[in-house]
Amino acid sequence: MISYELSPQQTQVRDVVHWFAANEIRPISLIADEQKKVPDDWLQKVNQMGISLSMSSFGEKKSESKKQKNHERQGNRLGVIASEELGWGDCAVALTLPGPGLGGPPIQHSGTKEQKERFLSIFSREEEPKWGAYALTEPEAGSDVSGLQTTAVKVDGGYILNGQKIFITNGKRASWVVAFATVDKTIGRAGHRAFVVEKGTPGFSCTRLADKMGLRASETAELVFEDCFVPDENLLGGEEAYQNKESRSGGFRVAMKTFDSTRPIIAAMATGIARAAYEYTLDFTQKELPRHGTHYRQASQLLAEMQEKIQVARLLTWESAWKGDLGKPNAQEAAMCKAYAGKIALEVTSASLEIMGPYGLKDNLVEKLYRDAKIYDIFEGTNQIQQLIIARHLYEPYGLRV
Amino acid sequence: MVSFKPSDEEAAFIHVAKNFAREFIRPAARETEKNRQVSENIVKKLKEAGMNNLELPESFGGLELPVLSQVQILEELAYGDLDIVQGLPGAGEAGSFIRKREEHPAFDSYKKACQTGGIPTIAFCHPNQPKLTISRHHDSYIIDGETVPLRMGKFADFVLLLGKEQNGEDVIIWLENGSDTSFKALDGDYRLGLLSAGFACLSFQSVTVSKKSVIACGSEAGQLASLAMSRIRIMEAAKEVGVISGALDYTVEYTASRKAFGSEIAKFQGVSFNVAQMAIHVKGARHLALYAAKQIDEGTSEAVFHSIQALKNVHRAIRFVTDSAVQLLGGHGYVQDHPVEKWMRDGQAQVAWLEQEHDLNAYAGDWLVNKAEGGKADDLLRTVSTTNPS
Repeated sequence: MISYELSPQQTQVRDVVHWFAANEIRPISLIADEQKKVPDDWLQKVNQMGISLSMSSFGEKKSESKKQKNHERQGNRLGVIASEELGWGDCAVALTLPGPGLGGPPIQHSGTKEQKERFLSIFSREEEPKWGAYALTEPEAGSDVSGLQTTAVKVDGGYILNGQKIFITNGKRASWVVAFATVDKTIGRAGHRAFVVEKGTPGFSCTRLADKMGLRASETAELVFEDCFVPDENLLGGEEAYQNKESRSGGFRVAMKTFDSTRPIIAAMATGIARAAYEYTLDFTQKELPRHGTHYRQASQLLAEMQEKIQVARLLTWESAWKGDLGKPNAQEAAMCKAYAGKIALEVTSASLEIMGPYGLKDNLVEKLYRDAKIYDIFEGTNQIQQLIIARHLYEPYGLRV
Repeated sequence: MVSFKPSDEEAAFIHVAKNFAREFIRPAARETEKNRQVSENIVKKLKEAGMNNLELPESFGGLELPVLSQVQILEELAYGDLDIVQGLPGAGEAGSFIRKREEHPAFDSYKKACQTGGIPTIAFCHPNQPKLTISRHHDSYIIDGETVPLRMGKFADFVLLLGKEQNGEDVIIWLENGSDTSFKALDGDYRLGLLSAGFACLSFQSVTVSKKSVIACGSEAGQLASLAMSRIRIMEAAKEVGVISGALDYTVEYTASRKAFGSEIAKFQGVSFNVAQMAIHVKGARHLALYAAKQIDEGTSEAVFHSIQALKNVHRAIRFVTDSAVQLLGGHGYVQDHPVEKWMRDGQAQVAWLEQEHDLNAYAGDWLVNKAEGGKADDLLRTVSTTNPS
């Protein structure tokens, strides 16, 4: 039955995460942006509280999933519901929360049992905060991930990696990075492999943290692999995952499948950013603008358009997450929600600044939201890439590859 | 639990409506437009399929379906052709008013007619009538002037009039085209779209309406109007979703086979990206319509707002998607060998005849800004249904 009512668990997650966003994240938001860093003591504190960022199985532990195997999974829906609240709080701080982050989904859905245990069990409130990361983009392979240049040469007991990765969230602080490389550039996607490279591995280093337009509190790293030896047991999924014919493009599939899980999360964060701007501006309009005249009318109408876009973004995202929970293919829906939410986050924050005029320039949360929002139209696949994916799915029934 | 899966009953309705649209509606679209009236054959077949009377109460022989079910059925039917759906005889928009006041004695003769198998046609006269006056004289009202073009005005046996009398009070009046409450459909030159939907201005020459034909007045009329208009908006939105869904599918199929510069034109990103944007518009508009329908069925306080939002969104979507369809078919889209030019014309007529995008946006904006200050939902309902935007 079609329903938009949150389950008790979904409601609880939304409320708890919103409380956290309002009371723990928002107070440090502008400070973290200014310092280009989330304070270490804050990260220690939230880690001890047991709060982490996982892009997979949010709110559903594996044991619970097994117990409830006859029930509908809701991890993806819980993930997008929580992520909207985190995006509302501060997306840069949210992306810096301890946990496997974007590196979680590939290990979760493609790792061996031993790898899941080894890499996903390190996140504990009893220990120092830890992070995982996902390293796909390269200087010459952004949107076209199939053209990645980082090489992996098979040697006895493992692989030697050489190459460079850029725009890697939490790449410097991460305990491990899921990194993609090719064993043979001439065979395209079939040569792709995914490795879990652990911090401190000889030949693996972070060479730079990028300064950015927004999302300044989030660490964006450049990583280099120089004759970096990665043991066989760190090849994601193990050798057998790449042996049979159906899995020949296994590494590429790992990368793409990751996006089916993470794009709705990113879309939800973008929706949260837009909602934060909308709520701030609604409050401004009600308290600061004279209740008459052209500007007031235009402001109220802009607010209506903003709210509408937010609602569409949320429903597109929920649908994508819902399909994911049912185990149905959701790549098209994931692309749609990412394309739409990424775009409207900027439109909404921009409209907010238009309503507030010069007030938006000084001591104003929305100018930060505007700077943050732009990246949501770019990372995890640009808007244009999302459109390409949508189009490919639309033309697939006609046997046409666009 | 958040879910997007239709119920089994809804899925069954969707299946029937989908087949009907493809088998009977789509093939008859051009001929129907040429004749400027839906054929009796289609009306008969729709009745046989059990989908000619979705909104009316069961006591009127209707299916009395939830709005959520109706939305999904109407989308499928309009996928076939919006013009035909809008040209179907019956209660039309007035059905939502009857549904909320089915016991009102003024509807008795209509109910009897429905129970005997015929469903007379009602034209709905909405409040935006600059050339029509309603004045009160003791217990009666006098209606004078001319309406704007009304859907099914040409074929109307009855009129349900929602308006304001001269002192500003809301009033809902039921009129039968009899000797004492006559109205006359005026001929006009209609060329844009929805040409089978019987658009006509109705002329009233100092028609006196007795108290017994007044369905509601004052605040009661405002509340009834709010409830009914929310339902109407969503059903209109659903029909528009049907059009854009059809336009998207047609465009995908065409661009997948049409070749230029030695390749299918879908392979050019100028084409495929436009198609992707069309798909996002379709999906977004559908979500808003379904969401609003659910709010109405559940009677939430924000249902009216969401109905406004859904209709406003799809008004924009239908312009974009149908225009894109014509554009991507190029010259072939402009000529009548393909249906897309008709969908574009029908779409433009559709966004013009009832509530327009700028008005809806103004209503929605007023509501958002005023809601947090203690305004009740009913205030909004009244504002939206019976007044011009500020």
